[in-house]
Amino acid sequence: MKLTGPLERVLRVLLADPSAPHYGYDLMKAAKLPSGTLYPMLARLQQEGLVDSEWEPQRQDAGGRPPRRYYRLTAEGARAARLELAQAPVPARRARPGPARPAPGGTR
Amino acid sequence: MSGAPLTQRICERFIRAACRRLPEDMRAERCREWAAELPAILDDPSIRPGLRRAVRALTFSAGIARTTRRLSRSRRGARPARASQWRDGAMRARPADVAVRATVGVAIWLVLVFIAIALGRAFPHLPGWLLPAGLVLAAGFDAFCLADIARAGQVRYLPKWAWALICLAQTPLGGILYLSIGRVGRARTVPPGSAPPGSAP
Repeated sequence: MKLTGPLERVLRVLLADPSAPHYGYDLMKAAKLPSGTLYPMLARLQQEGLVDSEWEPQRQDAGGRPPRRYYRLTAEGARAARLELAQAPVPARRARPGPARPAPGGTR
Repeated sequence: MSGAPLTQRICERFIRAACRRLPEDMRAERCREWAAELPAILDDPSIRPGLRRAVRALTFSAGIARTTRRLSRSRRGARPARASQWRDGAMRARPADVAVRATVGVAIWLVLVFIAIALGRAFPHLPGWLLPAGLVLAAGFDAFCLADIARAGQVRYLPKWAWALICLAQTPLGGILYLSIGRVGRARTVPPGSAPPGSAP
C-alpha cells in the first residue's frame, strides 16, 4: 500500500470510527475527493482485503430510496491503516494522487 | 423541485452507459450502487442552490465514467481474453476490418444503384408494377433491418435508435451500412484469435 494524499484522507475518515459504515457519497464529502478518485481506490482496497462492503438492508422508512452500498475497514484494514498513518508525516504529503496514474506493470 | 427527477434520470443514464464498460459479473451491482448515491447528492441540504446539487450530480457521474474506465482497464490487465469480455469489446473492432466491411457495404449499394439506372435505361417506359414492387422490397428490407436491431443484444458504434433512424432515412444504404458495420453477428462472439468470419455482410 503506497500512501498517497487522497488515500491518506480516506483512511483517516474510515479510521475515525472503524466500525461505522460509510456510503460512497458520504466518503466523498468527508475526504473531499471526487468520485473518479474515490471509487477506484475503494475497489483496490477491497481487492486487497482492507475494506469490506455490504448492501444496506431494504428499509420500509427509506421512502422508496434504493439501498446503498456501505464500506468499512476490515480488521486487517484498520491495522494496516493505523500503521500507515502512524508512519505518515503529520502534514498531508503533497504527493501526486496515486490512482490518477497507475503504474503500468507495477504492483497493481 | 421539478428539476431533480430529470437530473437524476440523466445522471442514471450516464452511469448506466459508463457501466457498460465493466465486465458483466460486476456491472449490475456497480450500476445499482452508483445510481443509489444520486438521491443522496440531489437531496443534500448542505449544497445550497439546487443548481449546484445538479452540477454535483453530473460531476459525480463523470467521475463514475473515469472509474469504470480505470476498473475495466485494470481488470483486463489482470485476466485477459474471456468470452464475455470480448462481447463487451464488441464496441471496438479493428479499424482495418471496419474499413473492409464499410467498403463492401458501399459497393453492394453502388451495384444496386447501377442496376436501378440500367433498368431505367432499358425500359424508358417503366412497367407500372415496378414502382410498387420496389417500394415493397424497400419496406421489407427496412423491416428486416429494424427487426434485427431490435433483436440484437448490442450494436456497434452508435446507439440502437441512431441505427434505426439511419436505416429508415437512407433506404437502402442505411440498412446496408448497419448490416456491414453496426451489426454484431453471432459468429463474432467467438474469442479473438480464432479464424475471423468472412467480411461480407
